[in-house]
Amino acid sequence: MADSLFVGIDLGTTNSAAAVFDGERVTVVRNAQGGTVTPSVVRVDRQGRITVGTRARRFVESDPVNTATEFKRLMGTEQTLAFEASGARKKPEELSAEILKALRQDIADQVGVAVDRAVISVPALFELPQSAATSEAARLAGFSRVELLQEPIASALAAGWRAEDDPGSWLVFDLGGGTFDASLLETRDGLLRVIGHDGDNFLGGRDFDWVITEHLAAQLEVPLSRKNPDHAAALRTLRLAAEEAKIELSRAERAQVTLPAPLVLDGRELAVDLELDRATVERLALPLYDRAVEVCLSLLRQHGLGPGHLSKVVLVGGPTLMPTLRARVAARLETVIAEGHDPMTLVAQGAALYAATANLDGRAATEAPAPGRQLWLQYPAVSADLTPHVVGRVLGADPPSTLQLTRGDGLWQSPRLAVGADGGFVTSVSLVPRRASRFSIEARSAADEPVAVSPSQFTIVQGLTIGDPPLSRTVGVALANGRVQVYLERGTPLPARRTFTHRTVETVARGTEESLLRIPIVQGELAEAHLCRLIGMLDIGGAAVRDTLPSGSAVEVTLELDRGGRMSARALVPALDQVFEHVVQLLVPDADPAALEESLREQRAQLQSARTDAFRHGLMAVLDKLDRLEERLAEAERDIDAAHGGDADAAQRARRALLDVDAAMSEAELARRWPALEEKARDTQIIASSLVGQYGNAAEQTLLAEVMSAIEHARADRDAAELERQLTLLDRLALGVYQRNDEAWINYFEAAASDISRASDLPRATKLVAEGRVASSRGDTQELRRIVKAIWALLPDDAEARRRGFDSGVR
Amino acid sequence: MAEAPEDPRIVDNPFFVLGVSPDASRIEIEREAQKLLGMIELGFVDAQTYATPLGTRPRHAEAIRAAVAALRDPYRRLVAELWARHAPSDGDAPAPAPAPADERRGAPGARARLGWGG
Repeated sequence: MADSLFVGIDLGTTNSAAAVFDGERVTVVRNAQGGTVTPSVVRVDRQGRITVGTRARRFVESDPVNTATEFKRLMGTEQTLAFEASGARKKPEELSAEILKALRQDIADQVGVAVDRAVISVPALFELPQSAATSEAARLAGFSRVELLQEPIASALAAGWRAEDDPGSWLVFDLGGGTFDASLLETRDGLLRVIGHDGDNFLGGRDFDWVITEHLAAQLEVPLSRKNPDHAAALRTLRLAAEEAKIELSRAERAQVTLPAPLVLDGRELAVDLELDRATVERLALPLYDRAVEVCLSLLRQHGLGPGHLSKVVLVGGPTLMPTLRARVAARLETVIAEGHDPMTLVAQGAALYAATANLDGRAATEAPAPGRQLWLQYPAVSADLTPHVVGRVLGADPPSTLQLTRGDGLWQSPRLAVGADGGFVTSVSLVPRRASRFSIEARSAADEPVAVSPSQFTIVQGLTIGDPPLSRTVGVALANGRVQVYLERGTPLPARRTFTHRTVETVARGTEESLLRIPIVQGELAEAHLCRLIGMLDIGGAAVRDTLPSGSAVEVTLELDRGGRMSARALVPALDQVFEHVVQLLVPDADPAALEESLREQRAQLQSARTDAFRHGLMAVLDKLDRLEERLAEAERDIDAAHGGDADAAQRARRALLDVDAAMSEAELARRWPALEEKARDTQIIASSLVGQYGNAAEQTLLAEVMSAIEHARADRDAAELERQLTLLDRLALGVYQRNDEAWINYFEAAASDISRASDLPRATKLVAEGRVASSRGDTQELRRIVKAIWALLPDDAEARRRGFDSGVR
Repeated sequence: MAEAPEDPRIVDNPFFVLGVSPDASRIEIEREAQKLLGMIELGFVDAQTYATPLGTRPRHAEAIRAAVAALRDPYRRLVAELWARHAPSDGDAPAPAPAPADERRGAPGARARLGWGG
């Protein structure tokens, strides 16, 4: 059997790269031009012929209408890109597939075998539709199986792979062409753990180019504007010149921006002869560097760390080569930059290493099975543990009676292992540290005759490993009360599946088209649905149900995510014995400039009132925060202008900025409510400690102490969001204890009974209350619980909340 | 007691799922999980259930992965240790799981009962 070959691909916004890992060494794959990075550029010529990479990039300037760049940013949207000369239109995933095909060919040329399984990296903050589009691109490129891996984990794996024990936390600062990711990590006992990550889906190297371009454009005789579609071509030319000048300035103090030919605008020639110096570029880029650094600082704060607490920072991505950026990051995070890593190919290297961890051999098993008894083996291809287990089973009846494993260097041998009657065996093996160990398997029959087995050997690499890929964003279902029922929390190892039972809010009448039960699926970290992103909608329509479904019916919703982050959803309605699986897979919504403008106006007004309020209360920290939001809105406004000029990417960025500002504003709102929150905390603490103190068991008491101390920390840090979170925990703990008491249900019953005038089905509610009175007088609390829950199911949610919950039909 | 809800903190406790002691080291936990995943994959019958103080449960690959992930997080491990050590045995009344859907109802009457007036 040939050695394993693991393939990793970094499918980047600006550049892509591939690497292979053979169990001992990682090798970066070179393309036909000899380079280690392949520009993510695709060109389609008049005859419809496709070129990619360096050869296509040459045409970015001279033939932009037939050359596509940065399509990764549009992955998961409905946008298609037009190639004028050939009249072809292509989806972003089709263009990504062209890049993947080229890399696949480069790998085949370099290692001499065709590969059809690989790990492809995606940004940590990629949303589910974007991940799905990436998988589709791989399929189009001819890969039979791929796994997706978050880029920061890939870089961390590559950076940590050969590092000797390096205790403490470290940070991966990944600034790509289009996205920024910061990941906080620790390595302990050979296991790499991502403690947390954060980022900005719309901050990247090209933003630097744009600020410089805008600076230059403003100085021309006729100032160019991104608002004006007629200026697009001239701006593109200027941007390339700006990019060149920027690169020049990483060495020289000043650079001349000249164009070989003057820009042509409305038939007029516009001479460009400008000067750019390093100080100006630094001044322009500083707010962008700082935006990235702010993300890092906030990530550190979330984990109780400050600047100076990091043992190192690993920089990834082309823009991190800029000397001022390196200096700024090191200074503000008060740490050192790790040297000796290639920021351009680190992600691809990590992806290849991960392919080994995931046991995803690049070559499909095409060879015919070798002669001998078939053996199924389960072992980790990479193990941090020096003595991992190997589990196996010999197929077919009458298995051999013993097996023995011998390590390739002859220095270790297992005892003779007895094979069970069902062919199964379990053993542990001993690995050579930081190397690949090959084991051969020898089987013997009951008569001690050798028995041929296949496979007869296998390899395990000892080194740093990482567990299952964690989910990057919390996924849940929006409810009719505008809140979110969390299904899978951020960090949940994939694959994962979770089921919850909901109740329907309204009746779905059989056979009526307009009768529709919506189950909105959202992604995001906030408990309020409208602050999360809608990523899918599971609809149960009147046309599809077998029978009319009364309100209050149970619906069992299951969300499932595979290792690559692909989601599926299913709703089971027990009353109908029917399963609904048709999820409208939403795309990243097209941001319509008019809608964006409207939202911008609303947020400006909100911000203004928040500012007045903060000023009146003398909340300087809040004012400070609001100022930053103001800046963010100003950026969004520029992007909306550009969106009017037809820049789809700017529209997406504006949409994201508006969402961020909205979320930040609710946090600012929390800060404003601080005094009220503190009072609530005191009340909750008193009630919870009495309840848990009187009725709680030992574990509940210990947890109470934990949460109480967390509350004190949050209070000391004046961290409103954290305080709210801890109070929710405390509430939950106290409620668990409270609801164990019969008296609680009498109280719940009285409260619900007094509210039935609002019930959706008044006769039924009235009947339930009467039944409840009987149960209560009989002291039948078991029955009372059932009745209270039935009444709750009839009480309405408020309409505004429901709208904010994406018109969810469940609770 | 057949109707009593089962406390997920006990029946889904990662230590029970993996069948390791609350004192197990990190590497022991990873090793055990890797072995169990292999056994489940190859259909070993004895890996398909695990014991809890509230009876035997079916064991799935998903539960194993979730258990390892939980124990990698120091805070979640601490909580899991507490529940694993304090779990009531079969005879005791299990604590019912808190019902998240009821949270917004608060605890009416609790203040009054504590002498807070309303």
